[in-house]
Amino acid sequence: MARKLARHTGGQDKTVPWLTLKMRETMEAWLFISPTLAGFLIFFVGPLVAVVWYSLTEWNLLSQQSVFVGLDNYQDALVRNADFWKVVRNSIIFAIGLVPLNMGMALALALALSRPFRGVIFFRTVFFAPVVTSAVAWAIVWKFLLQGDAGFVNQLLAQVGIHGPNWLREPDWAMVAVIITRVIKMVGLNMILYIAALQAIPRDYEAAARLEGASSWQIFRMITWPLLGPTTLVIMVITTIGSFKVFDHIYLMTGGGPENGTLVLAFYIYQQGFQFFDVGYASALAMIMFVIVMGLTITQLALRRRDT
Amino acid sequence: MSSLTLRNLKKRFGTVDVIRGVDLDVSDGEFVVFVGPSGCGKSTLLRMISGLEDVTSGELRIGDRIVNEVQPAKRGVAMVFQSYALYPHLTVRENMGFGLKVRKVAVAERGRRVAEAAALLRLESLLDRFPRELSGGQRQRVAIGRAIVGYPDVFLFDEPLSNLDAELRVHMRSEIAALHKRLGNTMIYVTHDQVEAMTLADKIVVLRDGFIEQIGSPRELYERPDNVFVAQFIGSPKMNILPAASAAGLGTGPSGTAQIGIRPEHLSVVPSAEGELVGTVLVSEYTGASSLLHIALDSGETCLVVADATEIAPDARVGLRADKGSIHCFNSAGQALKKH
Amino acid sequence: MTNLLSQPRLKVIKQICWTLSLGVVAIPFVFPFLWMISAGLKGPSEIFGQPSLIPTELRWSNYLEVFSYQPFARQYFNSLYIAVAVTVLTLFISSLAGYALARLRFAGAALVGLFLVSALMVPEEVTIIPNFFLIRWLGLSDTHWPLILLPVFGPQGIVGTFLMRQYFLALPKELEEAGKMDGLSRLGVWWRIALPMSRPALAAVAIITFLNSWNLFLEPLIFISSLEKFTLPLALSNFTDPYGSPLWHLQLAATTLAVGPILIVYLIAQRQIIESFALSGVKG
Repeated sequence: MARKLARHTGGQDKTVPWLTLKMRETMEAWLFISPTLAGFLIFFVGPLVAVVWYSLTEWNLLSQQSVFVGLDNYQDALVRNADFWKVVRNSIIFAIGLVPLNMGMALALALALSRPFRGVIFFRTVFFAPVVTSAVAWAIVWKFLLQGDAGFVNQLLAQVGIHGPNWLREPDWAMVAVIITRVIKMVGLNMILYIAALQAIPRDYEAAARLEGASSWQIFRMITWPLLGPTTLVIMVITTIGSFKVFDHIYLMTGGGPENGTLVLAFYIYQQGFQFFDVGYASALAMIMFVIVMGLTITQLALRRRDT
Repeated sequence: MSSLTLRNLKKRFGTVDVIRGVDLDVSDGEFVVFVGPSGCGKSTLLRMISGLEDVTSGELRIGDRIVNEVQPAKRGVAMVFQSYALYPHLTVRENMGFGLKVRKVAVAERGRRVAEAAALLRLESLLDRFPRELSGGQRQRVAIGRAIVGYPDVFLFDEPLSNLDAELRVHMRSEIAALHKRLGNTMIYVTHDQVEAMTLADKIVVLRDGFIEQIGSPRELYERPDNVFVAQFIGSPKMNILPAASAAGLGTGPSGTAQIGIRPEHLSVVPSAEGELVGTVLVSEYTGASSLLHIALDSGETCLVVADATEIAPDARVGLRADKGSIHCFNSAGQALKKH
Repeated sequence: MTNLLSQPRLKVIKQICWTLSLGVVAIPFVFPFLWMISAGLKGPSEIFGQPSLIPTELRWSNYLEVFSYQPFARQYFNSLYIAVAVTVLTLFISSLAGYALARLRFAGAALVGLFLVSALMVPEEVTIIPNFFLIRWLGLSDTHWPLILLPVFGPQGIVGTFLMRQYFLALPKELEEAGKMDGLSRLGVWWRIALPMSRPALAAVAIITFLNSWNLFLEPLIFISSLEKFTLPLALSNFTDPYGSPLWHLQLAATTLAVGPILIVYLIAQRQIIESFALSGVKG
């Protein structure tokens, strides 16, 4: 049998291949990546270039005419249109309200739920449940609960003698309401990211610190929090971008009102582009949004680079 | 027909030259071992032969065919990986038959070949298990079985025993040697363990920094190393290299001798007055059959000696005497000089 | 002596307080779901009466009315088949791209990766206007195509790509090399070795992709105008009287129908689902 095994039988062709191995690998790689890349170019890069062009034109959807107007649309936004600055203000208030609340609550819940106790799975499941629920469903139910005097929340407040505001009809309260309901919807996501990060910290660190007599707060301050740094940064970036993206939540709960009190940038773009058909102006707004979000992201990433 | 020829083979990763011009001839049925310290390029060279790495320049022939740009599966080679690389989602039988299935070998023939290999490797009772249900040694045998069923011209082994414990390693080593005797195929085997290299090889290729330092039979490398590197790499414990001036007592080499090499097992301990070299015992490592002495020579160097197991106290003054004909002379560049 | 006794008891009390306070925090997370189910079973008049979680009379007829008010069954089916299509396509395309980025050496790999990542930071509102014209130009307005194409090739697909890439990177490379030695083509290695070993990552991508499609709102809102082509989120927002005020009893019954199955699956597979989201977040 020995010799039989040694005789080669695997049908190999004697021709010299016309592709080198390296060329073959490169070709395969581009083949593998081409669907993604094609889609990326068609549905992302192309539109991104187009939106720059649109923002320099005045285009009316109804008349189908487009005219180059230079930076006019940007001037409209930054100088002429008072709504714009209100929208920016709203967006910033929304972000400033949402991001710290979301992250603080996520961290608190994660600290509470990162080690096992009876019921920990139950609570994790509960706090995460809104994340898998559609934003539309969530907004509808909360809108229902937050109605004026007939709404459940106010009836509950009335039981303890508080006359609740008409949450979604008063500008300031509407902002508070959309922020809080949004935080409840999304906090579970950041919570599990924090839980994962907390569980990745070796227990030995804490044990060592305890032996040296550190208190729980000191351990958190000196060990846990610094080790969570990268996670905190990622969460901060994701949550900040997310806060600028919020559309469905606002659309359904307040429709941007009352008195444009919850009119945020994402919604404003939709409104100008798809309700008022002012494509040029809406595109300029989209560009401004792009710049803001990119600026924030780069700033946050730069801050981290400086820290480390 | 399954010889192997490497001509000025080179490999570059980015700006790093990993293989810097290798020439090698392997004849049909030879068992060749690539050995060298980690990073010497031995695994890369093997992977170039397998086709898993492409060749930057040079010529690679298997049999009479240039295979530089031939895909791995079409080279007529089979590889046994360090981690065994058994597919976790397939049984032993499916693992061994997978390559045949991909090559569209008929079911009956496939079954026959798997059974044949399983019998050869005593794997019959394990054929329906999954890799995770096997011990390390069994996985290793399955990996070899997978290579066998394809009837390759050349077997390639990439440090196949380094994940096994010491006892199993010795056992598998003899199994591989037996397998080679039985199949008679060309085999190329990579290891960093010079004992494995010495015991298995017909021919050892010592590599360093992408160059071949020396090619030869185990005996040639041991008895006639070309340079200091090979001299020290082959043999355990490693050869003592002393400056010619310090080793003058051992005799003088040919002109140009800068360093003298003498293996620890070729030195014997004598009373200090009779020694060709004289020093003080630093440490004595007792290993049962013998003792390994670390000796601080009066000339300043440290020297290893394999002595019989008689007890020698630390700090004892001893003399050393070398066996006749076992002295290696090297020039200042570390190249061996011919003995008179 | 008393100290010895009180030590374990103290622990129990602490534990109870702890659980109770977490329970209080949990109320706004759970309560909307309960209220949704309850109000969906009430009549229009009872909804605004004295609040009570248990309806005086269970009006199952709400659920029938949901289907007669608009083609809700059809809309439900739309959401389902679109989500399945998006999920299957995303799995396919993103695992291919992820594999190339993880395993193949080619000039420009790093650049391509960087390009794709940067797209994740751009809100889709930025590109939605040109995409609207693009879809219209392609003649795909008021079809389900944009609801499939945009998510597959949008941020969701890119998240999937990187999730897969991360997972592929952690797989032992030698297995795939063994596959190559065994004669598999690159496509064969991907399909028969890399993918079977990547089930957890595929599951994670499938879960987040399906949910994302199921819950998608902006795209349907912009691209779909025919009632029978609506998806669930759009249909839910559409239970209104002629003056635009919500028909709460129908809307909440429909919402229960839309959210219910997702929640049930979530409760059964909560561990897997939560882990999927954790994975997709870590990639950033």
